[in-house]
Amino acid sequence: MILATIILVSSSALCLFYLQVTCHKILKREFAREYFTSIANANRLEFVFVRRSLQEYNAPVDYAWIRLALKCDYLALTYLLKNAANSKQAYSREEWLLMLYFRSLFLLLSFLHVLKLRERPAILKLTAILQHFANRLGERVSKVRFGNLSASEYLLTL
Amino acid sequence: MVETFIASGIQYAAYLLEIGLFAYLILWGHGRRLFGVCLLLVSFLGIDWIVRPYALIHFGLKSRQYYYVYWLSDVVLTLEAFGLICFFFRRAFQRHQKLWQQMRQMLAWVFVLVLAVSCVSLYFNYAHINFMDEFQQNLYFACLVLNTLLYIKMQSMGIEDEELDFLVCGMGLQFAGPAACLAFAYLTRGHHYDSLFTYVTQLCTSGMLLVWFYAIVGVPRGVRLRFNGENVQHLAVR
Repeated sequence: MILATIILVSSSALCLFYLQVTCHKILKREFAREYFTSIANANRLEFVFVRRSLQEYNAPVDYAWIRLALKCDYLALTYLLKNAANSKQAYSREEWLLMLYFRSLFLLLSFLHVLKLRERPAILKLTAILQHFANRLGERVSKVRFGNLSASEYLLTL
Repeated sequence: MVETFIASGIQYAAYLLEIGLFAYLILWGHGRRLFGVCLLLVSFLGIDWIVRPYALIHFGLKSRQYYYVYWLSDVVLTLEAFGLICFFFRRAFQRHQKLWQQMRQMLAWVFVLVLAVSCVSLYFNYAHINFMDEFQQNLYFACLVLNTLLYIKMQSMGIEDEELDFLVCGMGLQFAGPAACLAFAYLTRGHHYDSLFTYVTQLCTSGMLLVWFYAIVGVPRGVRLRFNGENVQHLAVR
């Protein structure tokens, strides 16, 4: 009985651990260049500002605003990932996994808020996922060419 | 009806992933380098497509023969997965011969220990079925612990092999779910055991195959370990 309980608890914990490690390994991927700033500016995404306010200025967590900002950014980025410069009009397996991870962390953030525990690490992880999405989107869009111009160069000529 | 539909969906998704990954490994020439992974995939395919359907058609779902074939094939798969973890250990520590010698002994002792614990359990609780359940649960858990030890050791020694990292993570998923499920079934005295175990096992297998797919096919070139000279030998999983 005791052995089975130990196995149940530790196996469940390790299952979550391996899922998290896999997501972190995907998030650690380095891109040829940092696309996320231009994507965030073009689409008025707020996750860059959220992360900067928490990391650099050590600002207090405004839960309601941060939750709304991250949720809106997530919806915008996932929509763009599916529809912008994506001929398949579908998410990749990697994107599905990270979306699942984002939703789980988002749920965890609500629990942390209700229980009045530290929300900062969870918020930073959420912004890291959004940054990865923005980088992926930027990478994809940069490959689209209008004649001799890339998408960003084309927009500058307008 | 809905339950059958979902179960079939999960099952066939796992089958497709098995075929897809195996075909990719063979067609793109990774078969030799990832021999252990190929062997496990072949076993998965053989058992899922030939052995179990054959037993199901000839003996029927409720028969004792099918039950034995199902559990014995599962034990064979778990033993093969244990062997694959040994291959991963070898790949990770091939440059550290002294450490690898110690690890080799430890792996052998772990297997003997799992067998001994299961035999003791059989002695106190004589039943073939109990023995298979208990042995499998212990083996799953031992593999999970070994896998986690390997992961921690790789991180602490700074072994940079992105592909192996993902392969180990996938393996961890494959073991953690069924081990938890078997323990849960033991604690709840087998209520909803079969359907739960089938769902969890198939989901975890699909999870493992997806992570392996990403490791072998999807990891961008910038992240993947560069192969040159000595590294090729170091990376061989055989």
